[in-house]
Amino acid sequence: MRNVAALTLLLSCASLAACATVTAPQDLVSARTAYDRASRGPAAQLDPADLHTAKETLDSAEKSFADNGDTQDTRDTAYTAERRAQIAESRARALQSEQQKAAVIAQMNANQTATVRTTAAALGRANQQIASQDQQLANERQRREDADKRAAQAAADLARIASVKQEPRGMVITLSGSVLFASAKSEVLPDAQVKLNDVAKALSEQEPDSKIVVEGHTDSQGSAAFNQDLSQKRAESVRAYLVTHGIASDRVTAQGFGPTRPIADNASAEGRANNRRVEIVVQPSTPR
Amino acid sequence: MTKNMKWAVAPLALLLACGASFPVPTQRMADAESAHRSALELGAASQPAAELHVKLAEEQMTKAKGLIAEGDNKGADSLLIRSKADSELALALAREQAASVETQKAAEQSNTTTVTNASQGALK
Repeated sequence: MRNVAALTLLLSCASLAACATVTAPQDLVSARTAYDRASRGPAAQLDPADLHTAKETLDSAEKSFADNGDTQDTRDTAYTAERRAQIAESRARALQSEQQKAAVIAQMNANQTATVRTTAAALGRANQQIASQDQQLANERQRREDADKRAAQAAADLARIASVKQEPRGMVITLSGSVLFASAKSEVLPDAQVKLNDVAKALSEQEPDSKIVVEGHTDSQGSAAFNQDLSQKRAESVRAYLVTHGIASDRVTAQGFGPTRPIADNASAEGRANNRRVEIVVQPSTPR
Repeated sequence: MTKNMKWAVAPLALLLACGASFPVPTQRMADAESAHRSALELGAASQPAAELHVKLAEEQMTKAKGLIAEGDNKGADSLLIRSKADSELALALAREQAASVETQKAAEQSNTTTVTNASQGALK
């Protein structure tokens, strides 16, 4: 009888020891691990609702294990708790992705807005530049039209007081030498000054950049050297008069040709009279 | 029936009564199937992270149907609980993957836009 009591005591102790060291089922261990990881990750901030659900399910599994031990219900509930912890983690990661996407799109929109503003500003500047250039072109066109009108008017005025011709070298104004100078002299006659005044006025209406060459010509009577010298002095005399009457000195030059460029026969008095002349050549500054 | 026979049949009847008392888990099956369909509709079966859980859910549903046919409703219920949990996880993983892809596309588009603008001189 004493042996039976000892055996019973031993069995009871063994049974108690076994109860105290009952290990949790693998599903519950995994669920604890999964929840612990999820609760320390982004889910705690980004998906607390799903994390809470996982916690509740894990608590149910723990209670089931405490009350009933390693039952199928305990394992199923633990299995569900593990999956719910994993779902909370996954949804948190998805939310992180969506936040990153929103940030990227916001940055992209900001960049696009900045680009549009920059482009619009550049376009505005370009349009202003084009408008300014258009205005400059219009002004230049108007200036040329006005200059052409003045030149035409000046040419018409000149035609009334002198012979005017258009030649490849420019507009040629021919003044008779006998009108401008006394015989063998190079001083402009007083009566001729009125005519030269009109010429100076007409020339001042020409393009300001055009060059003017005053050419002196004689007939063939007398020595060539004398005629050359006389033609040079007459050309310079007319040039000086024009300069003192409003023509810029750097626009006008003088050159004597003596009898070398006759326009009529020197054998007749009329021909010689025509050859004694001053030609004023107006050379356009730039071809249009 | 003799008195001895009654004592022999009684435990068997009790066992059958206990097994038969657990109803067929019809609602659990519907929930598991619904969760499975949702996962499939979102393309979980073709995404590596979610695919494993889709297969687990399918296997558990198949086994559950077999257990129901054998009369083990309790065992089927257990499997269907797990099947639904796996389908729901597969669905979440599929959504996560879709969000990641969308974010990557946005980043690529942003890079392309920046490069295009720069090459056209718009950012000068």
